[in-house]
Parts: sequence; C-alpha cells; structure tokens
Amino acid sequence: MSSSSRPSDVPRPGRGRRGSPTFRLRVGLLLIAVVLSFFGARLLQLQGLDPNSYAEMATAKDVRDVVLPAQRGDILDRNGVALAGSVSGRMILADPLRTTADAPAIATLLADELDVDYFETLEQLRRPESRYEYIARRVPASDARDVLDRIKKAGFKGIWTENEPIRDYPAGDVAANLIGFMGTDEPLAGFERTFDAHLSGKDGRNRYTQGNGYRVPLAENSIVKPTNGHDLTTTLDRDLQWYTQKVLAQTVEDYRAKSGVAVVQDVRTGELLAVADAPTFDANDHLAADPDDLGSRALSDVFEPGSVQKVLTAAALVDAGKVTARTRIKVPAQLRRQDRPINDWFNHGVLKLTMAGVIAKSSNIGTVLAADQIGKRKLSSYLTDFGLGQRTDVGARGEAKGLLPNASQMTSQNKDRIVFGQSLSVNAVQMTAAINTIANGGVRVSPSLVKGSATMEDGTLVGTDHATSSRVVSEQAARETMLMMERVVDPEVGVAQRARVPQYRVAGKTGTAQRVDEDCACYDGSFSLSFGGFAPADDPRFTVYVVIHAPGVDGGGGSVAGPAFAKIMARALAHYSVPPTGSEPNQVPVEW
Amino acid sequence: MSSPAVQLRSRVSSFGEAAVEKARLTVVPVNRGRAPRVPFIVLVSALAIVGVVGLLLFNTSLQQASFTEAKLTEQASAMVDREETLRMQLDDLRDPQRIAGEAEKMGMVIPAAPAFLRLDGTVVGEPRPATPEDKLRIRPKPRTVPADLRPRVNVVKVRADRADRADRADRAERRADRSAEVEGSD
Repeated sequence: MSSSSRPSDVPRPGRGRRGSPTFRLRVGLLLIAVVLSFFGARLLQLQGLDPNSYAEMATAKDVRDVVLPAQRGDILDRNGVALAGSVSGRMILADPLRTTADAPAIATLLADELDVDYFETLEQLRRPESRYEYIARRVPASDARDVLDRIKKAGFKGIWTENEPIRDYPAGDVAANLIGFMGTDEPLAGFERTFDAHLSGKDGRNRYTQGNGYRVPLAENSIVKPTNGHDLTTTLDRDLQWYTQKVLAQTVEDYRAKSGVAVVQDVRTGELLAVADAPTFDANDHLAADPDDLGSRALSDVFEPGSVQKVLTAAALVDAGKVTARTRIKVPAQLRRQDRPINDWFNHGVLKLTMAGVIAKSSNIGTVLAADQIGKRKLSSYLTDFGLGQRTDVGARGEAKGLLPNASQMTSQNKDRIVFGQSLSVNAVQMTAAINTIANGGVRVSPSLVKGSATMEDGTLVGTDHATSSRVVSEQAARETMLMMERVVDPEVGVAQRARVPQYRVAGKTGTAQRVDEDCACYDGSFSLSFGGFAPADDPRFTVYVVIHAPGVDGGGGSVAGPAFAKIMARALAHYSVPPTGSEPNQVPVEW
Repeated sequence: MSSPAVQLRSRVSSFGEAAVEKARLTVVPVNRGRAPRVPFIVLVSALAIVGVVGLLLFNTSLQQASFTEAKLTEQASAMVDREETLRMQLDDLRDPQRIAGEAEKMGMVIPAAPAFLRLDGTVVGEPRPATPEDKLRIRPKPRTVPADLRPRVNVVKVRADRADRADRADRAERRADRSAEVEGSD
C-alpha cells in the first residue's frame, strides 16, 4: 500500500537473490510434497501394512498383565484352628551362567538363610550349560524377600524368585488321611480334592502400563479383583484327633498290627470329633509315605465287624419284643446248623445265660439261638435302618459302602453268621454310627465331618446342615441294649474289663472277627479286633469305636482294642468336661 | 500506477475539478489508536508458561504419587508376607505334637481319668496323680534290629539337609525370636 507511492524506478532490494515468487512457491510446494509423501508412506507402512505387530510391540514393552492369585480357603477344625492353610511363597531360581563367578559366596549366603545344602547349591550355581536351576522351592515369601535383599545388597546377579503358593499343614499328620494334600498345581487327595471348588477361589488380573518399573499414571490400568476361596470347617477336634491318632498308633505298633482305625462321634449331633487312621502320613511330606496310607481306611476299608454286631442284633430283638436283658437262654457247647457247626470263642459245657450274659460273654451260639425268633426280612430291615450297607456320605473320598445281603440273598446260614457279625462287611464310620444309635436312645443320627454345608466333587451336598435322624429302635429297646453292653466291661462277668474308664459308666462290646484276604477271597487266619461303646452309659455323650486289623499277637477285642478305647474315651470326656454321672453300673444277672 | 490516474484527470477535467474532487473515493484513514502490545504479549506468555509449568508440575506430582504408590505397595505386600509367615510359624508352634513333646520334656503326662471340682466345693471323681504308666508314646518306637544285623556306626557330623518336623518347629521358634528382635529394634 505504501509501495504505491514509491517511485517506480527504485529497484526492489533482494529481488534478484530470491528469484520469482512463482518459482519459489513451486519449489516450496515440491519440498512439502516430498516430505508429506514420506509421512504418507510411513503412515501406510504403520497403519496399513502391519498395524497389529507394532501395537503388540508397544504393549509388550510397556503393558504388564499380572495375575492376582486368589487365596485358597483354609481347612479348619471345629474350633476354627487351621488344619490346612495357605501362605504365599516363592521358588528361588538361579541362572548358572551369571552365578558361576560368585558361586561359593552365593551358596554360603543361601545355605545360611534357607534350608538348602551348601554343596548341592554350589554345584547347581556352577552347572555348565544351564540357565535355569531350582535352588529352593516353597520358601515363605518373607524369607525369600530377605534372601533376595541380601543378595542384592551383596551385589550378586543371576538369582530371582517366582510365585509359588505354599499349602501348609501346621499339625502335620493330624487328620492328614481326611484332609489330603496338594500336589504342585492341583489337589491330589482328601478334602483338598473333594471340596476343591469350595476351597479354591478365582484368580484376578491387573493390566497396567509401566515405565521403568513404575506404573504410568493415567495410562491403561484395569483390575479384576480375585475372589478368595471359602474356608471349610470340619467337625473334627484337632487336639482330640491328635490324641486319638497317637493312642491308635501306639496300639498298632505295640501289637504289630497291619493297620488300625479309631472314630469318636458326638452322640447327639452325630458329628465326628476324630477319625484316626494308622499308619498315617505327614501331609507336608506326602511323597515320603506309602501310597496305601494316603486315604482314609476308616471309610475306604471294609471288614467284617464280628461280635460288635451282636449289639445291633440284640437291639433289633428287643425292639421286636422277642427278648429282654433277662431272657433265659440255654447255650449248648456247640450248635449244629445246616452246613457247619457254630462254636463259641471259649470252650464250655451247657451254659445257662441270660441275654445280657450272651452279650457280656459274647456267645455266638446264644446270639444265633436268640435271633432264631426273628426272620431274615425283619433282620435285614433293622440292619439297613442302622445304616449298614449304605454309604455314610460324610464327604470322604472313595468310601466303600460295605456289604449287607438283602433278605432275598440271605440264606439261613448267612443269617446265622450275620447276627454275630460275619458274612457282612462294614466300614468303621458306618459301624460307629450304628452303635451311636443305641447311645442316642434308638435314633440314628447320620454322621458328618463337615460343619455347615459343602458340595462334593460329584455334587452331593454334605455337612451338618444335611444331617438326618431316624428312629431305628424304641427308646426302651436302646436302654435294654445299653444294660447288656454295660455288663461287657464288668470286671467279674464281662470280657472287656480293660475297656473301663475309671469312675464312669461305660457300655460297649468287643469284636473279634476273621479277616477276609482280598486276593483269595477267603479267611486268611488273621483277625480284626475291635471295641465299640459309649459313655457315660446312662447319659451318653461320646461313641468311640476302635478297630485293630491283623495284629501280630494273640488277643481279643477286649484286650487289644479295649485299652485304646478306654484312653480315647477318658480323654474325650475330660476334654469336653463331662463329669461322671455318679450312678452305679447295673447288675442285670448274666446267668440263671 | 499513477500515470493512468493523471490521464484520467486530464480527460475529465472538463467536468470540473470540483466534481472530480467530489467524486473521488478515498480510503478512510486508519486512525485506530494503537493498543500497547507489550501487556498482551506478557499476558499470553504468562498464560502459556503457567500452563506448561502447571502441566509439568501436575505430571510430576502424578509420577511422584506413582513412585510412592509402588513403594507403599511393595511395603504392604512385604508386610502381608511377613504376617502370613508369622501366622504359619505360630500355627506350627501350636502343633499338638510339638506341645506334647515340650510337655513331655517337662515331665508332664496326660491324666488317665479326670476329676471335677464343683462350684460348691465338692469333688466329682477321684483325683489322683498321673503316673509314668499313663504316659502316651508320642513318637514311634525306633526300629530294633538284632545286634548282628546292625551296621557298624561311623558317626560323621554334618549339617542336616532335610529338617524333620521337630527341627522345623525349632527353626520356627528361632525365626519368631529373630523377627521379634527385629520388631523390637525398629
């Protein structure tokens, strides 16, 4: 504008140097086009040809996807004491390529801090052509942290940790046969496996962007919180379980027996306070155990109950109105029946025993004669009601339901033997629940091992919430049976005075049964010695059943299983502060 | 540019100078008072600087918080780990087997039959001292082998590579002591 007033002859400064505007414009445009076409080409390369790989590379570099492990539920005893618990742990790993140089120093440090052997570790740290060595497994996280801190401080390289949850069984072998154990990744046995869905939670995830080890604020960050597993509360009492196991182990050891089982049941609720197996194993070190010992024999082993069965026969007879404790029975020296003669365990002439005497002296002949008054059908129905031949469904794995021939399968020879406890098989918990029926005034309470409710692997609901009770025999019949059982432990007339608990009235029954060998399916000459009973007899609180399989010494249920029964019963009564009732044991006559 | 105007002027001079003068359009002179530029530039720069610095500070504080978060998270998880380990050690110490072992060392035995003291002073049951016969064997008997079969023992003392349960409990105890010390010194 101001140039309009300028004289035309004045030459413009710099016109010659810059060239014409059109030229400059074109050159500029060309340059811009060249640069932009580079950009375009790069854009095409990034977005058009292979967009995902770049996105992935960026993600891999900066985005971390971390699994937030869910805590596995604890397995607790009835008082909330942990029988199995989870602790976060680490495995300690080494890269020998980087540790070889400092191997002795690192090995010293590791051997000092952890449960590892110096020489073994040293060898691992120097192993040629290896880049991954397990130095220690299942180290508690805080210990691993301490070790790593010390290694870092000392400036050593090539040692790192990875997550590895630890399942700890603080009481070792206590209830190990029921609780089971965990393998490296999954539960392998017992409740751990049966109730895995209940115990295990659901892992969460956290996805976030990081730079140099730190979270980048305002960048991607998403969290799915882990859902922790539920605790499983059992009806077991850890201390009583421990004591029962020790008494049982001592008995099995002293009598050089093959195995043994002891069960303690609460009379009123049917809750199992202790289910002991011998031999047992340490759940923290299951690999050291014999695989045969890992399950629960109390539920998976069936055996012929022997004379303890007479209690059920007697209760059925009393309930059917056929006998009372005072019914007189003439017992011959031998009883000739269809296929073979029936004998008693002791030689005798003709005995004049009452029904109480038959039980107190454990006479097979007397029992068979008394049971002649009841039919096969009726007997079978009573025994079914007592729970024989059916699974108890307490939640244990691999429960065997035993064998109770039904009325149509039962021959009269069968029946004769069944009334004194042969030719049928039971598991120990079944039998405990059956004896408990007498203790509980004739009402059978289904046994339980789980407090509340839990779902088994196969969908069965188990637990105290699902316990059922049903009347099997009348209260009067149960009482009459109790009177007979009390005579068993009488020091003068009974066969099992060693099963007595000082100051308490105890009712019980011995059992000495021939054992069936599984291979030949015949009696192999060994015996199962047992004692089942309850106390206080006039106001029962606990039912205890002890079975010792194939002892290496001669003996009967009273002398082998009796003392173990007495110890366990005394401990249970003391532990739960059950005072003696103060009444005197009954004196029903055993002879006439 | 000025020469055609001169020609035009000479051509239309007959219409009279005044008319031409009247008809000629002129641009209204720009006469806006020039606002002082400096305050504006200062304002804009100040805004820009405050914005940039603010953003920087905000970012820094966020990043700082992220560092703190990382540190605290680490501290929290270390403490959770410590708590879990201590709880496990406590559970190990409560192992009935260990307690029974300790009690046995002190010469205690579990009584065979209990006696009860009622609130009114009467005693139910017969109190009697526990005897060594009541003793429960809490560990399996060592295996006995005939003397001829027993290998000659050459004792070499080395560090145990695998601690058994009792040893583990001892360790737990030791560890608990140690961590108590650490806690104390903190």
